Amino acid sequence: MVAFAILSVILLVSALGVLFFHNPLHSALSLITNMMGIAAMFALLDAHFLATVQIIVYAGAVMVLVVFVLMLLNIKEEGPRKTTRLFVLSCFVAGGLFMYFGVPIMYNAFAQFPAFNPNFNGSMQTLGKELYTNYIFPFEAASVLIMAAVAGAVMLAKRKFR
Amino acid sequence: MISTQLVLTLSAILFGLGALGVLVRRNAIVVFMCIELMLNAVNLSFVAFARNWADLSGQIAVFFVMVVAAAEAAVGLAIIISVFRASKSIETADASELRA
Repeated sequence: MVAFAILSVILLVSALGVLFFHNPLHSALSLITNMMGIAAMFALLDAHFLATVQIIVYAGAVMVLVVFVLMLLNIKEEGPRKTTRLFVLSCFVAGGLFMYFGVPIMYNAFAQFPAFNPNFNGSMQTLGKELYTNYIFPFEAASVLIMAAVAGAVMLAKRKFR
Repeated sequence: MISTQLVLTLSAILFGLGALGVLVRRNAIVVFMCIELMLNAVNLSFVAFARNWADLSGQIAVFFVMVVAAAEAAVGLAIIISVFRASKSIETADASELRA
């Protein structure tokens, strides 16, 4: 429980950092902190394999790609945003509507939440067995998707020779 | 034990922060990072549900969300690079024309 409290503070602060840092590179570093926190939270919730994959794929591959593009394009800090009064007003209206309609629904749903099932085994072995038996076709389709995405990315970023 | 409701509330707040970032920020790469933030929040709630019902389908869903997010990162950043090459800027407001 203490670990959960510390982790949620880290997650919220780093998410706010992504939003409010003016330099995009600082936002990216804050997002890496957030990804690490999410990975720790996965480990806390008995998702061992996903905690590992979160660090390898997100904090490793995806964020390296983002930081690489940021440095490649040499992005300057963006200036302060011209927030109109209408934008702030509509933010408050949307938040108020959510408080009025969404929170009671969530409260009711949370009150009659089914009991926690204690015999949950989230180990890598059970997940791997599930992935390679019941979900073998989506798993193979995912590899085709990644292949297509990589080919598309190369075609998009390639310089046009004329 | 951590209650599922607490995790779901945290995930909802993180999702809201990500959505606010998509609306507020103008830099396309920061908008992209806020989308990643929202995906992570949803993944967190999937894992919480999987633990609550002792059903691994939630974790499988998170695995495929990660796969699609990695593909999306590759294609999205390539699009950002080609937009930057065409208009010398990655402000989202400057990319309002499809014409290259």
